This record gives sequence, C-alpha cells and structure tokens, in this order.
Amino acid sequence: MDEERAERLGRVFAEVLEKQSFMFAEPAEKAAMPAAVREYVLASMTFSGHWRGSLELAVPIPMCSELAANVLGLEDDDEMATARGPDALKELLNVTCGSILTTLAGDQPVFDLSVPEVVGMFPERWKDLLQSSDTLAFTVEDVPILLRLWLGRTS
Amino acid sequence: MAYNVLVVDDSATVRAVIRKTLDLAGVEVGEFHQAGNGQEGLDAMKGRWVDVVFADINMPVMTGIEMVERMAADGLLKTVPVIIVSTEGSATRIEQLKAKGVSAYIRKPFTPELLRSVVDEVMGVARG
Repeated sequence: MDEERAERLGRVFAEVLEKQSFMFAEPAEKAAMPAAVREYVLASMTFSGHWRGSLELAVPIPMCSELAANVLGLEDDDEMATARGPDALKELLNVTCGSILTTLAGDQPVFDLSVPEVVGMFPERWKDLLQSSDTLAFTVEDVPILLRLWLGRTS
Repeated sequence: MAYNVLVVDDSATVRAVIRKTLDLAGVEVGEFHQAGNGQEGLDAMKGRWVDVVFADINMPVMTGIEMVERMAADGLLKTVPVIIVSTEGSATRIEQLKAKGVSAYIRKPFTPELLRSVVDEVMGVARG
C-alpha cells in the first residue's frame, strides 16, 4: 500500500471509530505488534464495481462488546453489549469501507458492498495479515488491532 | 405528531441506534417496527400503517433497493416515504435511488440533528 493510501485509510478508520464508537485509534508499527494473538475475531467484507477488493479488521473479542456498549450507551459488561458485539464490529467495518471507498475513488463511482462477516481468528491469519503490505496496525486503548485493505484491478 | 416508524436493517445494532437517535433528536415515535431485510420490511407493512421507513441498502434475502422497487409498484406503499441510511457515499448511487422513489439519503455515521432535519424535510414539517 502506498503512503498516501495508507494515510487516508488510517485517517478514515480513526474518524469512523471515534464518531461511531467514541474510541481512539493510534497508528502503530507492525514490528511492534505481537507475533501471535489469542481470542481475536476477524471481520471481513468484499466490494465490487469501480474497483473490487476486500477490507478486513482483526480485533480482540472483548473489544466487540466495548464497541456495542459505546454505540448503544450500555455498560461493557451488559449482556446486550456482549450479544451485540459481533454486530457492532460488522457495522464499524461497513462504515469504514463505505467511507474509504468514497475517500479514495470520489463520489461518482458506484460500489456494491457485501454483507460483513465475523469469524474466529486463526493464528495463521494473524501472521498473514501482519506480513501483508496492505495491512495497517493500530492500537486502541493500548490493544493491538490490524486493518487490511486489498484493492484488485479496476473492473 | 408521532410517526409510525419501520427500520429495515440486517443489523440489530443499527436498528437500535436509529431508534435511540430518533429519541435523541426529539422525533416522536408512535409504533416502532423492525425488519431484518427488504422482504421482512414488506411483510411488516402488510396490514399496518407506517409513516416513514428507514432502510439500509445491503441486506441478505432482499436489498433495500429491491424493497423500494416493490414498494413503488404497490399503489399504497408507493406513498410511504423511504429514507435510505447507508454507508455508501456515491452521488451516482444516491441519484439512482432517488429516481426509484427514495425520499432522502442519510450517510452513516449520522447525528441526531441530521436525522431530525431529514425527517422534518421528508414529512413536510416546517421549523422556524
């Protein structure tokens, strides 16, 4: 990922996270990220149209509840926040995806976005993400997370 | 005046956020109905009066666009205002939606003030 695209993606993600969930993302060096993580989930979605590609976000499971709690105005340990955690993570990814595509491509191209999915994170996937040049690293309240934007050929 | 509201979104979290934001915006809600996709949205409108619909675009089973097209083909449902609430920011897409009969478009993330302003505009409420 070139420097300009990385800067825009990082800015958009931080803005969406702050506006939607009142949480703050700090850019981090990938070299400072742990080599392996436990109890993480991976949210992913694809898009097609002007460009095709995918957006993936790896976060620890407790952060999902925190996202939901902040969005819905609940306590972190509220059962509703726990239940809605994956849904809140999908929505964070969805809004980030829409925002970054408009930021990069402008407001004329049309994209078709898939419905986001959340799955458990396998250790190999974390390593893949960490090694990918399309991945950015952040810390959110000192917790490491990874965000990967892959863009394919223009259709 | 209280509005009967239908929110069509596959995310229960988004449906809850829209409900909460309507309250924060001071929009009086009468009946509040929810649906997880366009087909469920159409089903929810059978036999009950809805004043305004908030709908997402990308949903499983039936998208918001298909739902709007079905509503436009129905003599009664075509009069119900639809506000699309989506993450997509394409001006081209927004024009396409308006051509299909969508009343307004709100891009996420949104504020209570914006939601109020759009509801007032769509429902023809003048505020001074």
